Amino acid sequence: MTTTGTPALDLQGIEMHYGFVRALDGIDIHVNAGEVVALLGDNGAGKSTLLKVMSGAHRPSGGTIRVRGEEKSFHAPSDAADAGIQMVYQDLSLVEPQDIAINLNLGQEKLRRGPLGWLGFVDRKEMRRSSEKELDRLGVRTAPMTRPVEMLSGGQRQVVALARSAIRVNGESQGILLLDEPTAALGYEQTKNVEALIRRMADQGIAIVVVTHDLPLCYEVADRIVILNRGKKVADLAAAGADRDHIVGWITGSRPSMFETAGA
Amino acid sequence: MSTDSVPTSGASVAGADSPGPAPAPSTTTGQDMPRSVSVLVFMRDRGIFVLWGLLIVAFAFWCSPYFFKVDNAILIANAAALTALFAAGVGIGIMTGVLDLSLPGTAAVASCVCGWVLTHGHATWLGLAAGLGAGVVVGLVNGLITIRGFNPIIVTIGTLSVLSGLAAVIAGGYTFPGLTQLEFMGTHRYLKVGDSFSGIPAPVFIVAAVFIVGTVFLTRTRDGIRLMAVGANAEAVRRAGIHADRYRVLGFVISGVLGALGGLVATANVTEANPNASPAIIFTALTAVALAGVALTGGRGSLPRVLVGALILATISNGLTIRGIQPYWATVCTGALLLGSLAFERVLQTAVSERLMAANLSVHQKKV
Ligand SMILES: Nc1ncnc2c1ncn2[C@@H]1O[C@H](COP(=O)(O)OP(=O)(O)OP(=O)(O)O)[C@@H](O)[C@H]1O
Ligand SMILES: [Mg+2]
Repeated sequence: MTTTGTPALDLQGIEMHYGFVRALDGIDIHVNAGEVVALLGDNGAGKSTLLKVMSGAHRPSGGTIRVRGEEKSFHAPSDAADAGIQMVYQDLSLVEPQDIAINLNLGQEKLRRGPLGWLGFVDRKEMRRSSEKELDRLGVRTAPMTRPVEMLSGGQRQVVALARSAIRVNGESQGILLLDEPTAALGYEQTKNVEALIRRMADQGIAIVVVTHDLPLCYEVADRIVILNRGKKVADLAAAGADRDHIVGWITGSRPSMFETAGA
Repeated sequence: MSTDSVPTSGASVAGADSPGPAPAPSTTTGQDMPRSVSVLVFMRDRGIFVLWGLLIVAFAFWCSPYFFKVDNAILIANAAALTALFAAGVGIGIMTGVLDLSLPGTAAVASCVCGWVLTHGHATWLGLAAGLGAGVVVGLVNGLITIRGFNPIIVTIGTLSVLSGLAAVIAGGYTFPGLTQLEFMGTHRYLKVGDSFSGIPAPVFIVAAVFIVGTVFLTRTRDGIRLMAVGANAEAVRRAGIHADRYRVLGFVISGVLGALGGLVATANVTEANPNASPAIIFTALTAVALAGVALTGGRGSLPRVLVGALILATISNGLTIRGIQPYWATVCTGALLLGSLAFERVLQTAVSERLMAANLSVHQKKV
């Protein structure tokens, strides 16, 4: 699965502070095209922070970001989106009072044809139709397109947020998809669907980083596992054959870091 | 409005609770929303129109025969016009996530700038353009300060203070009287029909135009929809790859222009530009906006309801005046009405939720 050569996304020495809180401490992480990297760690380990640095939502205090070998500095998520990076945030980042179709199309609204389109009038019907088609293509289903997001269940919201990023990254030939706990609110069947979706997208050559607390899911989809503990990377290993107890040890901090123990 | 109303047809409350794969297209167990819920949701979203209708009927009987007349309707519309303009400014501000308290100052500055230009012998259009331009500048300043991460309420309180002072500076401590060239947008009446119909005053047309354009903009156009989205969740809009800050500034600019327009219409009504910024403007506007049920949390609400909110205020004070009741009772009434509408909305909301829950439960029981 893993293709060698330049990684799709490569972060070196990433530092991030929230005031005096040091959330990330010299993180090196990369993901290749077509590879799924599972990012594990306890609550507050810095997983979301690291993903937000990758998506341009946060600017790191230090370190470099390379996209397909090219050094980038993201000032806003739109910069990352231009580089083919899409993220599903842990808080989902949906606009509650607007309907599903608008949420799926936010930032890429379809305008009407003709003079009304020049004036900026949106084509709601077309957005509904195309969104429905895209959802079908992804093999996910949620509520009717005209339903405001605030009237959806937690799981339905999660599907909308996931679908939005998946649709956008699907159009890219070399996209990068960042998922922050994409299955946290989903039931058994929906989790399986999302697993399959992640695998399918990776097989198309999309690079994926997925944060999760769900170890079975991680074994199911990931090629590689990266573990954070209190803002430091403590393990980076192939998923196949990784020992479950070791992983849990790294997550809880009871097992010393793969990187420091070598010398200590 | 399509953004805040609930789709009632084909949207099954209970049937669509499972996001999953769609192996066969359309396997949704479609079931309509219970009738009672649609009625309640209608009441919640359109209740203010019903309330206004009831008020009109009540006053029609109570103040018969003076109230229910075309001439009186025009009086009410004209009286509501100024409140409606400011309420549109405050309302759009709140819907897009900012409470612009500097509106009275914007109005005063716009009016004095226009007065200055006109008394210095320039063309009428130039005076109006300068006044509206002042509104744009105020909006830009408010917006550009706010996106640096400052609280919009404090920022606009600051600019309110600066603007009231500036208006007095422009006017040199006096007023600009005798601006008769503005009458065409003040007391002048259009569409007169002989002796039978005295015509409709200019401000009514201005208000109609503002609300039609505003409503279409906020619900049908890309920028309007994004503006509303920014009001609901600016960070989410930013994360969707949009320059959310630009839209926050745009919200302030629209609110500033509407404030300036309100100031200009007020000036035209009395043909005098007055540098006094009256904070009462903002409270009346806020009352209309609150009556319209615009959530202070942003991202929700609709302009037509704001308009009706302003009309309700004018209707009450008109009806009570006809009956010869002291005007301060009108403020007592509107205040009580506002509190009552809050309670009403709470009751409706609870009823809707309860019914939705009940519908969900019963469907699950059927499935088992
Ligand atoms: N906006 C913020 N301001 C200040 N500190 C923050 C902020 N967001 C996160 N932190 C801190 O940064 C650290 C890492 O947080 P982060 O959200 O990245 O954790 P996480 O690994 O995603 O946890 P979880 O599994 O609970 O989602 C925590 O100590 C947290 O308290
Ligand atoms: Mg997190």
